[in-house]
Amino acid sequence: MSELCWTSMTELSRMIAAKKVSPVEIVQAHLDRIAALDGKIKSYITVLGESALAAAKAAEAAVVSGGALGPLHGVPVGLKDLYCTKGVKTTGGSKILAEWLPEEDATVVTRLAAAGGVVLGKLNMHEFAFGPEGLNPHHGAPRNPWDNATHRICGGSSSGSGASVAAGMCPGALGSDTGGSIRIPSSLCGLSGIKPTYGRVSRAGVLPLAWSMDHVGPMCRSAADCALMLAPMAGYDPRDPTTSVLPVPDYAAALTGELKGLRVGMLRSFFLEGAAPAQRAAVEAAAKVLAAEGASVEDVDLKSIGLAPGASHAVLAAEAYAFHEEWLKTRASDYGADVRERLRVGAFITGAEYVKGQRLRALLKNEVDAALAKLDVLLAPTTPIEATAVGQNEVRIGEETLPVRASLIRFTRPFNLTGHPAASVPCGFTAEGLPMGLQIIGRPFDEATVLRVADGYQRVTDWHTRRAAPTA
Amino acid sequence: MGRIMRYPARMEKLMPPEKLTVDTLRTLAKAQGLELSDAELASLLPLVEAGRSGLAAIRDIPPQTEPASQFRIF
Repeated sequence: MSELCWTSMTELSRMIAAKKVSPVEIVQAHLDRIAALDGKIKSYITVLGESALAAAKAAEAAVVSGGALGPLHGVPVGLKDLYCTKGVKTTGGSKILAEWLPEEDATVVTRLAAAGGVVLGKLNMHEFAFGPEGLNPHHGAPRNPWDNATHRICGGSSSGSGASVAAGMCPGALGSDTGGSIRIPSSLCGLSGIKPTYGRVSRAGVLPLAWSMDHVGPMCRSAADCALMLAPMAGYDPRDPTTSVLPVPDYAAALTGELKGLRVGMLRSFFLEGAAPAQRAAVEAAAKVLAAEGASVEDVDLKSIGLAPGASHAVLAAEAYAFHEEWLKTRASDYGADVRERLRVGAFITGAEYVKGQRLRALLKNEVDAALAKLDVLLAPTTPIEATAVGQNEVRIGEETLPVRASLIRFTRPFNLTGHPAASVPCGFTAEGLPMGLQIIGRPFDEATVLRVADGYQRVTDWHTRRAAPTA
Repeated sequence: MGRIMRYPARMEKLMPPEKLTVDTLRTLAKAQGLELSDAELASLLPLVEAGRSGLAAIRDIPPQTEPASQFRIF
């Protein structure tokens, strides 16, 4: 196995620019690993070996010629298979779009390519991004690389993104997040991922699940790599009217390692108190690490948080049904059973219920803003549980038996409602060796602080450096 | 701007919504052009009920709270 498959994007970029390694060598190492492992892990739907090698050769030539290099020059990236790629199948993880060839790239795909990124392939996902387990009846359920004995979920919906990066088959990938689909697989696969502020990154050319809750962001093996990947993606896009004209700061420059004076709020009720003991202990320990670095930590509660699941259900289900209505009437049998049923629920949301959800959403956003008026970031577990076995529908948390699906999204979906930036970074492992995630929530458009805290935490901990050891 | 009161003071006196059945769900589905089997409707019913109960819990939004989605011409 090539060490290049475990080298960070930041280091790969440096090595390429310094002519210490060729992009061709890097891409080939990843293609070899995909060939060796992905038959079992099932993280890719389409591997773009030929075009990736061609792009790598072009990147190599540019290095040799001494031209200006983008921040991701020659660095491989993976794309969740809901990002439109011109002339390349974009399935959304579905049978319905199995043969769809988009006529243009998503804006973020164009921007990553302009930054020098080399697309390795299109990644598996929960069908149409509608499921937090990351299962897929058409392409197989990606296998969590942290457990070779039991087929465990990767978390979703960006399950292929999580599995490929955690297994060393891609150094960084795009996920998308409507209820936690970047943060949940980041938590369950031991990765760092960030859902930026709603409006920070263009959604143009991204298959929607729920337009007003969809977010685009990176999943990598460190916060520093997330900063590297996010920077070229972010910023106003005339193709997406919800993107902001606010300038994009230099995220890499924000990674100072400085945590002294940081004001941190621990979300205790609903979040910490709703997590399993191992996740709770890991997040409390993470807060102590930040405190030891000079941060002040205080408890904070969000009064209306308990109502978030009802509101997010109304908004998400109604918007998803609106997008899928025609296919549900003409091609219902082509959906997987779970997603078909979930989508149909949206047919029974009334207009008044949707508006009620949107009103609660405004209220909750104000409460998070108020908490962040006196604090820099909020902390919470990303998920209350670790990766469960495929097919497991219920989980014990304390004295309660709860559905796995609802448990997975419980701590992440509120911030899809409010639109605040939120990252997940590894903060420990269970007794079974499964990763756990720390969620860091920041002020609107202040991804820089979220990334600074995530990176600062990673400078004094080593959870993010541990490697899964998947077998073929 | 003054407070706009949109709710009666004693909401608990409002009639509770009628409990959904497979038959009412079938009627609602048909009205939207969805033809679902009895088994599909029976399977959907608890999910729709769960969603409704989550929404029913949202009762005390301050009257001045406008929806997050607002029309903006600019």
